[in-house]
Amino acid sequence: MSSASSATALSDATLRAGIDRSLRHPVMFFLTSGAAWLAVSILLAIIASIKVHCPQFMDDCEYASYGRVFPAHINTLIYGWGFQAGFGVLIWLMARMSHQECRAAGTILTAGHVWNLVVLLGTIGILDGRGTGMPWMEFPAFVWPGLLLCYCAIVVWSFIQFRVRDGERSYVAQWYLLGAMIWFPWIFITANGLLFCASTHPLMAAAINAWFKSALMFLFFIPIALGTAYYLAPKLTGRPIPSGSLAKLGFWSLAVVAPWAGMQKLAGVPLTGVFLPYLGAAATVLLAVPLAIAVANILRTIFSSEEKLPKSPALHFTLAGLMGLLLLAVAAIALNLPGSSLKLTQFSISGYGFEILALYGCFSFMMFGAVYFIVPRITCREWVSSRFINMHFFFSAYGIVAIAFGALFGGFIQGSAQEAWLQPWETVTDVVRPYAAVSTFAWCVILFSNVFFFLHLAMMWLGLGRRGGAPTLMDSAAEHAAPASH
Amino acid sequence: MSLRPFILGLAASFGLAWLLVVIVPFIMMRNLGPITLTKETDGAAGIFYPKRSGRIVNGAKVYAENGCYLCHTQVARPTYAGNDMYRADLAGLARDPERGDTRRETNAYDFEGETFAQIGLTRMGPDLANVARRFEAAVAAKGGGGDPAAMFYAHLYDPRRNPETRKSTCPSYRFLFTRREIKGQPSNEALPFGGDATSELLPSPDAKALVSYLLAMKKDQPVPAALNFAPPEPKAAAR
Repeated sequence: MSSASSATALSDATLRAGIDRSLRHPVMFFLTSGAAWLAVSILLAIIASIKVHCPQFMDDCEYASYGRVFPAHINTLIYGWGFQAGFGVLIWLMARMSHQECRAAGTILTAGHVWNLVVLLGTIGILDGRGTGMPWMEFPAFVWPGLLLCYCAIVVWSFIQFRVRDGERSYVAQWYLLGAMIWFPWIFITANGLLFCASTHPLMAAAINAWFKSALMFLFFIPIALGTAYYLAPKLTGRPIPSGSLAKLGFWSLAVVAPWAGMQKLAGVPLTGVFLPYLGAAATVLLAVPLAIAVANILRTIFSSEEKLPKSPALHFTLAGLMGLLLLAVAAIALNLPGSSLKLTQFSISGYGFEILALYGCFSFMMFGAVYFIVPRITCREWVSSRFINMHFFFSAYGIVAIAFGALFGGFIQGSAQEAWLQPWETVTDVVRPYAAVSTFAWCVILFSNVFFFLHLAMMWLGLGRRGGAPTLMDSAAEHAAPASH
Repeated sequence: MSLRPFILGLAASFGLAWLLVVIVPFIMMRNLGPITLTKETDGAAGIFYPKRSGRIVNGAKVYAENGCYLCHTQVARPTYAGNDMYRADLAGLARDPERGDTRRETNAYDFEGETFAQIGLTRMGPDLANVARRFEAAVAAKGGGGDPAAMFYAHLYDPRRNPETRKSTCPSYRFLFTRREIKGQPSNEALPFGGDATSELLPSPDAKALVSYLLAMKKDQPVPAALNFAPPEPKAAAR
């Protein structure tokens, strides 16, 4: 190697180390507090799920009533875990790709603490019976301005880093992350502003809420997941993304199609624009296109060479997330066909299955992959136990497959029972019960898998990671094997 | 891709959908005016602008806070969107003792008084758009001058107490009731169950608001011709 390139390599490594050091505290904070909220959310999910097939469970506790526990579960999953994992990964990825150190770690850390406080107050509000009754917006009305301010305080620095990056070129991952950073405030202010600060017909309020749910999934969580995958796949395999134009097509098709989706949840409802729900259904079906394009592109990156792939945990989780994305694309089509399946799935548990597939099966798996990649770099330690990583991976995968298939398939069965108008309503309740039991079991399995994740992350946070040596791979036999691509 | 075309592209692609799907419908549906009735089509001149009785605002708040929308819907979809209209008791009563078939699709005036229409997320439990009419019919069929409000209170207190709904997965809303020692005369709000010689069961203000809201869940009033999608009455067969 010539001295010029070795000097460049050294200065690159120094820059990367500087970036990692500057972001150590904010990113670790977001990941650990996000993981804590994930634990809370899964516990609430288990309680809620048990109550569907066994309503006498914790019957006398007002705060554990299904109508409060379920919204608490979904809102802590989104705002407690989803956003904080997203923040941790986003600020690190944007800093690395812009080659800029973070100079506002203190501000970001403060905003993160305030975010946690606001989410805690909101969750207590829901459990205390002060929820708003608007799905995914059940936090009491004082919460959303706090979340918005914290969001701006956390994310604006990544935007500045992108602006002052050297050169004109941008990575595919940066488009998705920038897109998420810009879409979210627009969506959030629209929905919360129109529903809390303005007034319209009650049906239109319900429609905007349905639009918000879909937009948050497909214009914030999925883009962050895709940006992470587009970063990790080339990094972990050392292979370039095969087609830049396909990547562009994938991004812009998501940008064009996703904002129209969401109102299919109000099919048959007397909105002034009766076509609006069917526009939403068509857009959701078409969303399969950008998702499939992105998955194909990233899979081609990973499998573009005949050489064996490293058994890196980040790669495993990224691949699992990509499979989740593929399943999401198929479900988006299968659930929303206006003549046939939309009638069945509109008021069934398949909606919940679809949302959990997006939030856990795609987004969370990609975030886990990013966590296993990022944490060693910012703590300068390696993960302690490949067995823990294996347990986390396989049990999470089993759990999410059980929930996704159970709820998606169960939703069709439930919808068919609802449509059988000559049968009494008891039939519908009976038919759902086994799928609710599957769901409880699956959430227990997911909790079990995440116990290993929490323990492992806590160990790394406390500085108990393994010093030096090769990275921890998922194959324990290969622990002494070749160095990974950093 | 440099920043400026990126931002412009994002703004254009999102902004178009945002305007057409969110903002414009929001503005257009803000002030739903009444429907003018004419003698030819509706039999009398005037306007159609129904109001609902009962404690809609307070009751809807309790409904939202306790997550009833997670398992119950409040919409009867037209037949192109589902089979709701075919059920004998979802969209009205198929065989109302006085008026015959009173089933109709939900229309935009059915949510008057609320700020957020609780369309509902799933149908784990039955649709509630006409639940008050169903309970009234059940009480009338049983005879003896019962009260549909008592049926609602009984269901909220313990859904599985009634043998007809013993498999219900509705949560028990016991916390919406209070047990009080009887001092002198029993209260006239005391419920006909759950009490004994010395104590009585009373609904809390939240329970009363919720039941008042649920008692307004009847969508079988006559609608103007503009909103009436029922098939025309068959002419009496000429034998």
